[in-house]
Amino acid sequence: MALIELRHLSKTFKGKTQIVEALKDINLEINQGDIYGIIGMSGAGKSTLVRCINFLEKPTGGSVVIDGKDLASLTPKALRSLRQEVSMIFQHFNLLQQRDVRGNIAFAMEIAGMKKADIDKRVDEMLEVVGLTDRQHNYPSQLSGGQQQRVAIARALSTNPKIILCDEATSALDPQTTTSILNLLREINKKMGITIVIITHEMSVVESVCTHVAIIDNGDLVENGTVEDVFSQPKSQAAKKLIFRKAGADMGSLGERMIRIVFEGSASTDPVIASLAMECHVAANIMYADTRDVNGKAFGQMILQLPEDKLQQEKAIYYLQSKGLRVEEVTSGGA
Amino acid sequence: MALEKMIPLMLDGIRDTMYMTTVSTLFAYLLGLPLAIALVLTSPKGLAPRPLIYRVMDAVVNIFRSIPFLILMILVIPLTRLIAGRAYGSTATIVPLVIAAAPYVARMIESSLLEVDPGVIEAAQSMGASIPEIIFKVIIPEAKTSLIVGATISSGTILGYSAMSGAIGGGGLGQIAISYGYNRYQTDVLLVTVILLIVLMQAIQLIGMYISRKTDKRVRE
Ligand SMILES: Nc1ncnc2c1ncn2[C@@H]1O[C@H](COP(=O)(O)OP(=O)(O)OP(=O)(O)O)[C@@H](O)[C@H]1O
Ligand SMILES: [Mg+2]
Repeated sequence: MALIELRHLSKTFKGKTQIVEALKDINLEINQGDIYGIIGMSGAGKSTLVRCINFLEKPTGGSVVIDGKDLASLTPKALRSLRQEVSMIFQHFNLLQQRDVRGNIAFAMEIAGMKKADIDKRVDEMLEVVGLTDRQHNYPSQLSGGQQQRVAIARALSTNPKIILCDEATSALDPQTTTSILNLLREINKKMGITIVIITHEMSVVESVCTHVAIIDNGDLVENGTVEDVFSQPKSQAAKKLIFRKAGADMGSLGERMIRIVFEGSASTDPVIASLAMECHVAANIMYADTRDVNGKAFGQMILQLPEDKLQQEKAIYYLQSKGLRVEEVTSGGA
Repeated sequence: MALEKMIPLMLDGIRDTMYMTTVSTLFAYLLGLPLAIALVLTSPKGLAPRPLIYRVMDAVVNIFRSIPFLILMILVIPLTRLIAGRAYGSTATIVPLVIAAAPYVARMIESSLLEVDPGVIEAAQSMGASIPEIIFKVIIPEAKTSLIVGATISSGTILGYSAMSGAIGGGGLGQIAISYGYNRYQTDVLLVTVILLIVLMQAIQLIGMYISRKTDKRVRE
């Protein structure tokens, strides 16, 4: 049984002048141990979806089942204790400004009703995990964004949750800090088996840590599955747009033969093109490339301009196919 | 007025004024704080929205806030008699002072509480915090600095009201100013009371701001 099940989930906001269908009939299962990315354009409904998972937002239709418990059936008290198993981290960290690092980490455990001595011990452990032991008496205003997010992660972990929900947890951070925070999340997932749901609008976040991905477009869940499946063969328009953002632009005007090779995780990009030149003596011109490495495998596409010579062209195509790559013709005059 | 008469008179005045101001501020907070919390909770965007209750409380606060203090003082004379046994003097004046200040204080506290980052409140909710926990462990501690600033301004205002009450029988420096300075044309007495009121106001302001700065953890040191 899945750890998180969303069944026919919908959420409609009724304003004075307009009605916004933020989520429409979402069905999704997230299993224990997954790092599930939920990606979509701004306003797609990602935040609303993640807030429905811990019932910060009450859905207007359908159900949220966590660990077999239908959240709608819980009493307010039972819901509050369930929330101790579903931690959340936020884009703007949301730390208590008037408490130091220790105090912030302790906060979640105070809410959980733990004893003072146990809290102190656990705070020390958590400081160790996120590497902030030397900053424990600092206040949030004295910390960088990355450090503040580490405090938020420590706070989220302190109550031994089953699930951590991240709403744009790295969107306010620079690329380097983003990487370190994502690595920390991956480590937590590996070592503690905590299921992580990551909301983001950045494809790179999904690529670097997620095992699964769901694509939300305008309130609809248009596609979901393992990252490898969705990235190699995106079916929906929204997914293609997110994955091959710039593909297809300015490609028809060149009069020579071009092919599109699609990487589906079988080989890495660089050696293929290099060996095409080395082994077949075919110099292909890379017209366009949008490939990405996911867990050491390449996904995406590359468009190559082949030499005039027909034989060389066939040789190149044959070679690429033999390497397990999908090769498609790009007809001149419109890709 | 001779100095040996002036000094004890002024000392009594300072004592009475400080007595009225502190006791009134205390009681105003005792009434205003729960009222402010109730306003914040029941507001349409609050944690426990009760639009009807909110509108009633909101209107009551506005009504009391719009009655000028001197008129309110006269209006509540029967109540003052009931509570304090008489309608004049320092202790009696505390009754109208509290009635005038409580709604004012409630508004000050309300605005401080509303300044707290909703994100932090949401984080607490996501951890399973109950409403009392959110109020006492999140909202009030996070609003601390602003609450202290508000208390400073409020006690200054109450000090002003207490001086005003001298016009119709309240005690303290205000009464001295009226009965000597205004009724008996003793300008020197009037001047001294004014100076003393300014000094008191400054003292409140300086102490309040010092405490709020000292306790605020948001500033880098
Ligand atoms: N409380 C609300 N009242 C009315 N409409 C809302 C509310 N919250 C969200 N919406 C609307 O629901 C839609 C989805 O919003 P949501 O915040 O979930 O988007 P998002 O995918 O998280 O976007 P972003 O990437 O910009 O954070 C938007 O059209 C938004 O305006
Ligand atoms: Mg969002």
